[in-house]
Amino acid sequence: MDFVATKFSDFLTYTGFANVEVANIIMIAVGAFFIWLAIKKDFEPLLLIPIGLGIILGNIPFKAAGLEIGLYEDNSVLNIFYQGVRQGWYPPLVFLGIGAMTDFGALIANPKLMLIGAAAQFGIFGAYMIALAMGFEPNQAAGIAIIGGADGPTAIFLSSKLSPNLMGAIAVCAYSYMALVPVLQPMVMKMLTTKAQRRIKMKSPRQVSQTEKMLFPIVGLLITTFIVPSGLPLLGMLFFGNLLKESTKTTRLAKTAGSALNDIVVMLLGLTVGCSTQASEFLTLDTIKIFALGAFAFIIATASGVIFVHVMNLFLSKDNKINPLIGNAGVSAVPMAARISQNEGLKADSHNYLLMHAMGPNVAGVIGSAVAAGVLLGFLS
Amino acid sequence: MKKLLSIISLFAVAISMSAQGAHDFRINEVFVLGCPKQCPMTAADDSGYVSPSMLKSCPKPEFYVDEYGEPASWIEIENTSYTTHDLRNCFITTDRAVLDKSMSAPDREQLMSLIPAGDPRTLISGKQRLTFFTGHRNRGTLHTTDVIRLKAGEPNWIAIYDGNAVDLLDSVTVPALKPGQTYARLSDGTYQVCEASEATPNAPNQEYHNDKIREFKEKDPHGFAMTLMCMAVVFTCLAILFLFFQGFGLIIAKMVNKVAKPVVQPVVNASERVVEAAKQASIETKGIPMETYTAVIGLALHEYFGGTHDIESGILTINPHPTAWADKSHELRQIPQHHIQTPKK
Repeated sequence: MDFVATKFSDFLTYTGFANVEVANIIMIAVGAFFIWLAIKKDFEPLLLIPIGLGIILGNIPFKAAGLEIGLYEDNSVLNIFYQGVRQGWYPPLVFLGIGAMTDFGALIANPKLMLIGAAAQFGIFGAYMIALAMGFEPNQAAGIAIIGGADGPTAIFLSSKLSPNLMGAIAVCAYSYMALVPVLQPMVMKMLTTKAQRRIKMKSPRQVSQTEKMLFPIVGLLITTFIVPSGLPLLGMLFFGNLLKESTKTTRLAKTAGSALNDIVVMLLGLTVGCSTQASEFLTLDTIKIFALGAFAFIIATASGVIFVHVMNLFLSKDNKINPLIGNAGVSAVPMAARISQNEGLKADSHNYLLMHAMGPNVAGVIGSAVAAGVLLGFLS
Repeated sequence: MKKLLSIISLFAVAISMSAQGAHDFRINEVFVLGCPKQCPMTAADDSGYVSPSMLKSCPKPEFYVDEYGEPASWIEIENTSYTTHDLRNCFITTDRAVLDKSMSAPDREQLMSLIPAGDPRTLISGKQRLTFFTGHRNRGTLHTTDVIRLKAGEPNWIAIYDGNAVDLLDSVTVPALKPGQTYARLSDGTYQVCEASEATPNAPNQEYHNDKIREFKEKDPHGFAMTLMCMAVVFTCLAILFLFFQGFGLIIAKMVNKVAKPVVQPVVNASERVVEAAKQASIETKGIPMETYTAVIGLALHEYFGGTHDIESGILTINPHPTAWADKSHELRQIPQHHIQTPKK
């Protein structure tokens, strides 16, 4: 009988109830809140559901007894999944999927829109300067600032290289703000535009030949990676995925990259990023600072995109003016940012369809943020 | 032709692969066993070799010991690449006679110490090091044969050779070192004499610190320079792409215009014919203007003959594809039928 009692009391010490701390409860509540946002408010459910459940999973309290179950324990299943984040495999695979799903046609039809994608990257560097002022080290500041690119995989890739101890907070912050793009961006867009400017109707983009579409990933890859070789993993996979799509000879591979493979990676990425936010690592003052910086980064990125369109319009003829509402799409949240341009355009004029125009800077933003990440990595690693 | 191209490609890949690897090994640090000359307890033999047993009796020895606790000279080899490479079957030598190119490979091997295969320790990860003690081969892989002799108090030449004993991978002439000193390679490829306290067997020769981060912290505390440089690079990348596709788009547009002219004419004619045919036809319009009918038929014909709709940029199209799941013939919804068999008479 003593034997049973001893073993049972020993078992009780292993349960979550015996090991729970207030911090665990807070993080589980955060995870549940993310899931609620995804299901009830429809905020990026594909990202927030895996991350939300991951946060809960990563904060289930247990006794550290070498059972190889925790994310940070060698050889545990979660640890094996986590290697994709820690060693940076997942972000390039996600970029492969993005490339396979992206139509660069809108960008090729009106190449000057690429410059908007470049201008919006100022969000990254604006946040970098603020992060330095807040006392972060240059490598940490760069890891945090990349949130301004509005690109989750890029943020994970760069922070895993430059500031691995902040990666969990940075990843959750990046994805959270991407989900909050519909809340953050319209406010800034309205502030920086007049009603007349929001009504500007843009010319329909010209038809793009298949040759141009096939050429784009090859030329894009050569130009960007020759200038920034440190962005090779992301840019290489992005353009590889796009070439699979546009070559018209590898449709099957493009479909797999853009659907099944991408879904698998997103699931594992979201889950393990969520898991990595263990209370002891996550509930710190730095996390609060990172969330504040993330908001600044998104606002600066949106504002710089819109302001740059105003500057471009000074040099364009009356018939070729660009609607400044597509400036927000320079961040690489594809296609959310473009969708916001469309919605705001329709609010100003119910016949003004900006979606295809906004897709140009939007996909340029993907390239721009990957280039920016490569430059930061080159300078600081 | 395809086979030939494939073989050439494979050959090119093989050459590029063999070009990496062993050539990344460098002699990273050398320690020559010695003892203060004034020490009465020890003396070098004619070749300058000080035996460990002699050094044991030295009252103030300045040396490092192997895994058996015996003092020994050592040679540290570093894999300077970022990839794991195996040092097995390579050779270490201290005899300059091997520089004679007319010497045969077997003769060379007599003057060299082979690094044996079969020991996982010779697999050196990127930027990692492995230290070999001189002499006592019977103590394991990390000991050289007795042909390797480092002479105290005079310069020593050390080289590592590839598995064929002919290709020189790296060599260094170590100056005469004082007891306890080592000769270490720095990150810029130069060598310097280090005092005993600075020797780092199996460890980097310099303390690791990220100079880049420190430099940015000191010289660009507010991030202005970083912002300027990064934005310039991002703009340059996308501006080059913009210029390329702007120019390329113009060329394509010109080409399309040239080619399209004869093609356009029949389409226009066809449309005109449709309009004429529609006007002449007595279609019941049910209040809808005849022009609408004409436009719909014209558009349908245009898409049918043009065949461009599915690859038109910026237009999302859902094409129904019959699959085994959607095929009506595979559905289990067929009305059951009673097959009444009439009894045979």
